[in-house]
Amino acid sequence: MPRVSAWWVVSLGVLLVIASRTFYTVSETEQVVITQLGRPVRLMKSPGLHLKVPFLQQLTFFEDRLLDYDAAPAPIITRDKKNLVVDNYAKWHISDPLLFLQTVHDEVGAQARLDDIIYSKVREQLGLHDLVELIASKREPIMRAVTASSHAASMAYGIAVIDVRIKRADLPPENAQAVYGRMRTEREREAKRYRSEGQEEALKIRAETDKQKTIMLAEAYEHEQAIRGEGDAAAMRVYAEAFQQDPDFFAFSRTLEAYRKSLKGKTTLLLPSQMEFLKYLRE
Amino acid sequence: MAWDDLNFRKGLGGFGRPPLRLPTLQLRQINRQFLVGLLVVMVVIWLASGSYTVDPDQRGIILRFGKHVATTEPGLHWHWPYPLETVLRPRVTEVQRVELGFRTIDPGPPARYAEVASESLMLTGDENIIDVDLVVQYRIAEPTKYLFKVRHLSDTVKSASEAALREVVGRRHIDEALTVGKLDIQEATKALLQSILDTYESGLLVVAVQLQEVQPPKQVIDAFKDVASAREDKIRLINEAEGYRSAMIPEIRGKVESVLREAEAFREEKIRRAQGETQRFLQVLREYQQAKEITKKRLLLETLEEVLPQMDKVILEEKAGTNVLPVLPLGKPDIPTDLESRGEKR
Repeated sequence: MPRVSAWWVVSLGVLLVIASRTFYTVSETEQVVITQLGRPVRLMKSPGLHLKVPFLQQLTFFEDRLLDYDAAPAPIITRDKKNLVVDNYAKWHISDPLLFLQTVHDEVGAQARLDDIIYSKVREQLGLHDLVELIASKREPIMRAVTASSHAASMAYGIAVIDVRIKRADLPPENAQAVYGRMRTEREREAKRYRSEGQEEALKIRAETDKQKTIMLAEAYEHEQAIRGEGDAAAMRVYAEAFQQDPDFFAFSRTLEAYRKSLKGKTTLLLPSQMEFLKYLRE
Repeated sequence: MAWDDLNFRKGLGGFGRPPLRLPTLQLRQINRQFLVGLLVVMVVIWLASGSYTVDPDQRGIILRFGKHVATTEPGLHWHWPYPLETVLRPRVTEVQRVELGFRTIDPGPPARYAEVASESLMLTGDENIIDVDLVVQYRIAEPTKYLFKVRHLSDTVKSASEAALREVVGRRHIDEALTVGKLDIQEATKALLQSILDTYESGLLVVAVQLQEVQPPKQVIDAFKDVASAREDKIRLINEAEGYRSAMIPEIRGKVESVLREAEAFREEKIRRAQGETQRFLQVLREYQQAKEITKKRLLLETLEEVLPQMDKVILEEKAGTNVLPVLPLGKPDIPTDLESRGEKR
C-alpha cells in the first residue's frame, strides 16, 4: 500500500503540473498573447478558461481596459502667436496586442511612444488655430482632429487612441498678469461709466425739476396778473358806471376825501385871508 | 478598493493536498473510514465557502474563471467556490464625488477647504480668466462596464470633468459665466461629462454637477466688486435726484396755488370794494341831488373841521407884495421863504 500510495502521489503531482501548464484563465479585463518559443502565435481575448500546449507555449497578459495617458503640461504657440500651456490627457486601448508586443513591448514603452505622437499632434493642430478658436468656438473639432491623427499614427504600434482632450489650456504666468491688468482696467472703466451715468441721470432729473419749477412759477405769475387785472378792470367799470351819474359831485366828494387822507400831521397851511372860510374872521 | 480587486483570493486551500501517511496496516480499515469522513467534511466546507451576501447597496458580479457569467441582486446567494467562481460586489448606490478647484480638508462643521488654483483658474471665451470651483457627483450605473472597461476610473472622472468644465466655460463670456450662466454651465458640463464618460463605456452616471463658486480671480476681484458698488452708486445718485424732484414739485404746486388764491382774493376784494364804494356814493348822490348847494357847503365845512385842527396855519394878506411876507402869524413863526399861495376851491 505505501508503494501504491507513493505512485499515486507522484502521478497526481505530475498531472497537476501539466494541468497548470495547460489550462489558463483570462479575466474580463485582460487579453493574452500566446507565444511559442518566443514567436507570437495566437491572441486570446475572450475571458474564461482556456487550453494551450503545455511548456511549449507561453502567455503574455495585456490590459483590455481603456488606459490613461496624461502628459505633463507643455507650452504651445497658437496661429495668432499666443502662448498657451496645454495639459491634455488621452484614453487609449491596446487594440492589437501582437503588434503591441512586437513594437513597444509593454505599457511603459507605449507611454513613451504616445508622448511623442500626441504631443506632436497637439502642437500641430493647435498651431493651425487662433487662441479664441481653441478656447471658445472650435475646441471640439480640434480635439477630434487631434484624436484622429494620433489614432492614425498609433495604429502602427497596436494602440488605438480613443480620445484626446485638453484638460487645461492656460496662459503662462506672464501673460496671465497682462490679462489681469486688462480685466482690471476694463472693470474700472465700467465702474466709472456707471458712476458718471448716475451723475448724468441725476443732473438730468434735477435740471428737469428746476425747469418745471421755473415754468410753474411763471405760469402762476401769468395767471396771477390776469386775475388781478380782471379785478382792477371790474372795479374800474363799477366805479366809472357809478361816478358817471354825476361827475361833478364825484370830483367834489372824492377831493374832500383826498384832503382828509392827505392833509394830515405836521403840515403848515398858508391860508389867504380872502378865503371864504375866513370871511367871518375878517369882519 | 478591495471589493473590485480582481486578484482577490478566497476559499480553502484544500486543493491538491497530499494524502496522509499511514503508519500501520492494522489501522487501515479505521483510517480509510476516517479519511473518507475527512474528505466529505472538507468538501462540505469548501462548498459552504461559496455562499455570500449582497448588501442592499451592492450588486454581485459572478466571475467563472474570470469570465462574467451572472449578476445577482441583494440577498443571500451561492456560487461555485474558489477557484471556479469568484464574486465582486461594487457599491452601485453610493454617490462618489470629485472636487475641482478646491479640496475639503475637514468636512466640519465648520468645513475647511484648500484652494487649488491650477484647477480652478480658466480662460473664458473672451480671453478673460475666471475662478470656478466645481463638485461632480456620480455613481455606478452599469457595474460590469464599471469593473471591466476603464482602468483608474476616479482619475478619469476628474480629468474628464476638468476638460468638460473648461470647454463649457470657454464657450461663454466672463459676464455671462459670472451672472446668469451658472445654471446653464452646470447643465452643459453635466451633459458633456456624461457623454465623454459614455464614450469611454465607464458605466458611470453623473448624478449632479454643482458649481460651488464662480468668481473673478483674486488679483482682480476688488475691481469687480467696485463695479458692483458703482452700479449701486448709480442707483443711489438717481434716487437722490428723484427724491429732490419728489420734494420739489409738490412744494411748487402749493406755491402756485397760493399765488393764484391770493390773486383771486385780490380780484374779489377789488370788485367788492368798488361795489361798496359806489353804492355808498350813489346813496350819498341821491341825497345830494335833493339839496345840492347846502349839502356841498356842509360837506366842505365838515372836511375843513376835520382836517385843519391837526395843522399849523398861516393866514396871508392878499394885498401885500410878493417879496415881503405879509404874515399874520397865528402859530409858529417857522415859515418857508418862497411861497405859493394855495387857495381853496371856492
